[in-house]
Amino acid sequence: MLKLIQVEFRKLRRRTFIWLMLLAALFMPLAAVFYFASVKGTGVEPIEFYKWTAFSYTPWIILPVVLGMLCTMLMYNENQYDMLKQLWIVPVNKTAYFFSKFVVVLVYSVCFMLITAAASILTGVLPGYIAFDSGSVLYLLRKCMEISLLTAFAVLPILAAAAAQKGYILPVCLTLVYTFLGFILLMVNMYLHPLSSMTAIVMRDIPGVVITQPLNIPGAFLCIGVWGVASVLLAGAALKKRK
Amino acid sequence: MELLLWAERRKLRRSKILWIAGFATVMVALIVFAQGQFTFYERRYIDGAGWFMTAAQSLATFYVLPAVIALLGSYMICREEQEDTLKSLRLIPVDEVKLTLSKMVLALVFSVLIYLLLFAITFLVEAILHFEALSIGLVLENLKTYLLDGIGVFLAISPIIALVARMKKGYWLALVFAEIYSFAGLFASMSSQLKMVYPMTAVFNISGYYDANMFQVLIGVVILMVCVILSLFILKGLNQKTK
Repeated sequence: MLKLIQVEFRKLRRRTFIWLMLLAALFMPLAAVFYFASVKGTGVEPIEFYKWTAFSYTPWIILPVVLGMLCTMLMYNENQYDMLKQLWIVPVNKTAYFFSKFVVVLVYSVCFMLITAAASILTGVLPGYIAFDSGSVLYLLRKCMEISLLTAFAVLPILAAAAAQKGYILPVCLTLVYTFLGFILLMVNMYLHPLSSMTAIVMRDIPGVVITQPLNIPGAFLCIGVWGVASVLLAGAALKKRK
Repeated sequence: MELLLWAERRKLRRSKILWIAGFATVMVALIVFAQGQFTFYERRYIDGAGWFMTAAQSLATFYVLPAVIALLGSYMICREEQEDTLKSLRLIPVDEVKLTLSKMVLALVFSVLIYLLLFAITFLVEAILHFEALSIGLVLENLKTYLLDGIGVFLAISPIIALVARMKKGYWLALVFAEIYSFAGLFASMSSQLKMVYPMTAVFNISGYYDANMFQVLIGVVILMVCVILSLFILKGLNQKTK
């Protein structure tokens, strides 16, 4: 299993586009700079600044879309060059193959949120919007870790859909629809969709966030768990069926 | 040119992408419908006549449809390279600029069709829910908005598709660019100056979703023209590169 994961990472080395996608992490911190420059002045509460840069659209839209694309690319990579047959001949365990891809997604997600956190601190401290203090930085890092780990599990259905498919178009469209659904369900019912459940868990202790629905953390974990297990089973069945 | 358009249409017959794009559109309508169940001052959003039609087009344009349309266009262009048919086409010989232009024209048609599909769905739902509350003026106004959105969104993202045609292998790039580009519209709409010149929000100025005066509409038209000229400019370099 460890070897498989190592191989997966070696495959990424030559794909510059995957590294380019990490730049999307800078989008919200930069947007925040323009927003605070035009609307508010300096001396903002650090948490309020981070709420803009790291806890809003990044976990709702940007991270899920980027991870969905990554899932599709990882799965499509082998199909594109018809490598899967050779992998099955080796033989590679199909479930292990799926999980090695998932580990890449997980690590990528963590890297993405670390970049977001670093960019948030830099864009906040350098122009002087916020004061640098260790308490808020630690809080930001903890929240970013929560977001990255939970989102990686929440996009498991997309990874499964990409594994069950030969093409890339369906998983990519699914990513867009899935993310959009999660975002809209935030306002309707948070405990139906893994991404909105992830938001519920992350938002539980961010000061100043008003959640209209009763907070149900076990329900949110249950939702992510059920979707995750269902996707792993689906992916396993689909990979077994594919020769 | 007519022959090329005919050939493109025949090529799409067997591919699933149109179904998938249609599926994404239907899903968007469903998701916005779910949002309509949200109650605000003891009144559901969906109960307001015209709410569904207006909300669906703006949410779809900010989050989903531009990326789907960019995917459609870039898929049509990239498949020639990917499926190795480009070599045979060059031997015929087919003018690559004309070929790409015919693909772009088809993408424009599909962009309009996708928006019309969304209009048809939302109109039907509105008619079923509260037919008597709909006026002909409201429906025609929305039809105009959707039609202009379809044309405008394609024109706004045409430089991205043209860029993909230049780079051939970058359909992933098209998707990510288009998604971020449309999503950044949300932020651009916060400032009134930026709203006027940002292509995605200029489309809304033209289509009548935003209340805009004559000057703003004219600026929007100029911006979209600049987009078209930019994409033609990018395409013009295509032939020089291949020779």
